[in-house]
Amino acid sequence: MLLLLAAIGVPLTLFWDFAWESTIGVDAFFGPPHAANYAAVALAAAAAIGLACRATRDGVEGVALGPVRAPLGAWVTLWGALAFVAALMFDRWWQASYGLTAGIWHPPQMAKALAYFAVVAGAWMVWIARQDEASGPLAAALAAGALLAMVAVVTVPQTFANRQHSAVFFQLGCATYPLVLAAHCAAGRARVPATAAALSYMLLVALVVWVLPLVPGSPQAGPVYNAREHLLPPPFPLLLVVPALAIDGLVRFAPGRTGRGRVLAEALESGAAFFGLFALVQWSFASFLLSSSADDWFFAGGGREWPFFLRVDPLARNAFWHGVSPALDGASATLAALFAIAASWVGLSLGNALAELKR
Amino acid sequence: MKSRSVALGVACTALLASAAAAHIGSPNVFFEGHAGVHAVRVVIRPPQTFPGIAQADIRISDSDVTRVTVRPALLDAGSEAEPPASEAVRVAGETQLWNASFWLLRRGSYGVDVRLESARGGGAVAVPLRADALARPTMPPALGAALLALTAILVAAAIALAAAAPRDVRRARVAAGVAALACAGALWGGDARWRTMDREFANALARPLPVDAAVRADAAQLLLHLALPASTPASSSWDTLVTDHGKLMHLFLVREPDFDAFAHLHPVRRGAADFEGVLPPIPGGTYQLYAEVTHEDGTAETLVSRVNLPPPLGVPLQGGADPNAAVLCMSPFALAGNAAQPTALDFDDSWHVRSPSAPGGADPARVAALMGGGQMELDTGGELVADRDTSLRARAFDRDGNPLPLEPYMGMLGHAALRRSDGAVFAHLHPAGTVSMAAAELLARRDGTASPFAQPAAGSEREVSFPYAFPQPGDYRLWVQIRTGGRVLTGVFDVRVRDRASS
Repeated sequence: MLLLLAAIGVPLTLFWDFAWESTIGVDAFFGPPHAANYAAVALAAAAAIGLACRATRDGVEGVALGPVRAPLGAWVTLWGALAFVAALMFDRWWQASYGLTAGIWHPPQMAKALAYFAVVAGAWMVWIARQDEASGPLAAALAAGALLAMVAVVTVPQTFANRQHSAVFFQLGCATYPLVLAAHCAAGRARVPATAAALSYMLLVALVVWVLPLVPGSPQAGPVYNAREHLLPPPFPLLLVVPALAIDGLVRFAPGRTGRGRVLAEALESGAAFFGLFALVQWSFASFLLSSSADDWFFAGGGREWPFFLRVDPLARNAFWHGVSPALDGASATLAALFAIAASWVGLSLGNALAELKR
Repeated sequence: MKSRSVALGVACTALLASAAAAHIGSPNVFFEGHAGVHAVRVVIRPPQTFPGIAQADIRISDSDVTRVTVRPALLDAGSEAEPPASEAVRVAGETQLWNASFWLLRRGSYGVDVRLESARGGGAVAVPLRADALARPTMPPALGAALLALTAILVAAAIALAAAAPRDVRRARVAAGVAALACAGALWGGDARWRTMDREFANALARPLPVDAAVRADAAQLLLHLALPASTPASSSWDTLVTDHGKLMHLFLVREPDFDAFAHLHPVRRGAADFEGVLPPIPGGTYQLYAEVTHEDGTAETLVSRVNLPPPLGVPLQGGADPNAAVLCMSPFALAGNAAQPTALDFDDSWHVRSPSAPGGADPARVAALMGGGQMELDTGGELVADRDTSLRARAFDRDGNPLPLEPYMGMLGHAALRRSDGAVFAHLHPAGTVSMAAAELLARRDGTASPFAQPAAGSEREVSFPYAFPQPGDYRLWVQIRTGGRVLTGVFDVRVRDRASS
């Protein structure tokens, strides 16, 4: 359970860090969100080491590397924690040498993202293997929700409500979320695993949306284009529960298929359904988020919440932005649907393969 | 009123770049002037990367100041986007020295607002600052080795884990192969990304801009022609230059290899991409050129070039100087023309030539011979140490040892230029520091404060002082220029700056 809590802590502390950088701006190596984030990774590593000690002592379950035995998920988490240490050393030098002048998605940042995903994915794999326990399916769904929240963290600049009619938003969403949803749908043992994972994600992100604005904070560096008095909430969670229900329905409740084409057929249906429902629901919901009806604590919408450093034309605050990325059209929608199908296929394959591995 | 403020703001942005004018390897900003009733010296050390922390040392002439705040405002962001001020703290054991640190999120042109509170009303001054990334980083070998070792462990662990997890051997081999390919792909992709970002970072570094220099003869004079190469990026075009101290370009020439000839000239613009100016009668040879120009978008540009100059065309030296003198300190005696008449020297042009037969001085770090038998003395306040704040004080004497009165030279009591022996540092100093006085005064007008500079009165001063800290240890040549009796005199000094660690 400690591993699960630590894994959930990873995206939560990263959202805190995003809010800190967008509100206060001054971001030291051991600033509060950073320290909490390091603690979450360290806690996950400690929990994984605990699992390894127990597996090595009992000598029954898990994967052996030399004399050490551990559940596969624990190994993945430990690998992620070590990768995090390397990425952090690299990142510290990078920040002191290049800063952010060369861009945000620099190699150590990408390495850190990979490490975070490994830490959280390891926790998910541990709980996928422990679904015989009473709390197993719920814990696995929460871990899958943390994985989805990690996707939300790394794509946050593309998911402001103003971008939610753009081609790149739908293509990015279709290339990532179905992978986790399909994998959990295939490997989870809850009645509707993908739906449970999507609900977990929405709850985790919504908690962040509701809690962060309660913390006072103001910019400590300039230029300050948007005055802030409290931490910036991230965009309201995407309504993944709708396409997730469709994935569950198509994979778990459709008439049983067998044979080599089963996964491909499921992926085709799931991917197409994900794209169609995701586009339909989120397109409408984005319009709501930009309206004055969403300008409240619950939705944090209405075009009111901005990072202090972002220069936004007042007329653009409640408008959809198509200057950088054009709106979804036939060609880009087709590509997004193909991404969703491919991501579903990879996810279903991974989820099914988990059962074949030593765990 | 509002439009006037906007115009001033735009003008401030445009002129601020001269804060770093004609500087190579010398990123720190030195400012000496007044904030209200208090005389202040401000030294700002900007970060080398962004976001990064800048340090400001504020030395105040009085000890009755009770509070000092510092606020960096990005000029193109407008006053409404200013961040909160940072509190400066009094340095332990000091009554007049304060220190503040503040974040700069990105490079650009800033006005650093320094405010003082005291029983006498305090004061405020905005110090122009140009913050830029200057150097391409290299990773320390120890860190590189550690990261390489960790990467090797991670790759080996990933492959071993992939091979150990499947239940049958065939799948184990496939999984190990896929893991190896994934690791190789990730490392290749990361390396490619790093190379791309490093190249883009290097391309965006603030660095001197090479220009083409050529000499042509026109009647009885030599004209120096400077032009932008065709490969110059559009951002460095000369379409948007603005003046500093009334000149579009300040040009320094120093003769290789021993830098015995020096000139400070002000060529005039001849076209969209070229400048031209009359060459004074300085000896032929190979010269290094350093020039400063300022763009209206706030970008400072340091121009560099080399040029081979032929001997002078037999033009008689102005001012009736003895051509056999050991040292010539020259400038046009009378107003020969203004900047719109490029066939004449500018009134503020000056040059200095040291004869090969001139006897070496006893102490070239302290005493320099002047034309006419006088001398200039330099007081560095003791040993010069890299990155240590100091004042370079100069006084001139006639052949009888009487101090010479100083007259304003382009609005200041003097100018100085310095060059490290390897060329890694070149800087142009004023008594007001390294900032552009024009930019600082425009900031003062924008803020509605008094000019931070006291205007020098002709003949009342006997000493000129330049606030500075040498950025690197090494041997430097220093040219100090003053105007007296209507003539510009140049004293040349050779100083050694010690490493801070060995001092």
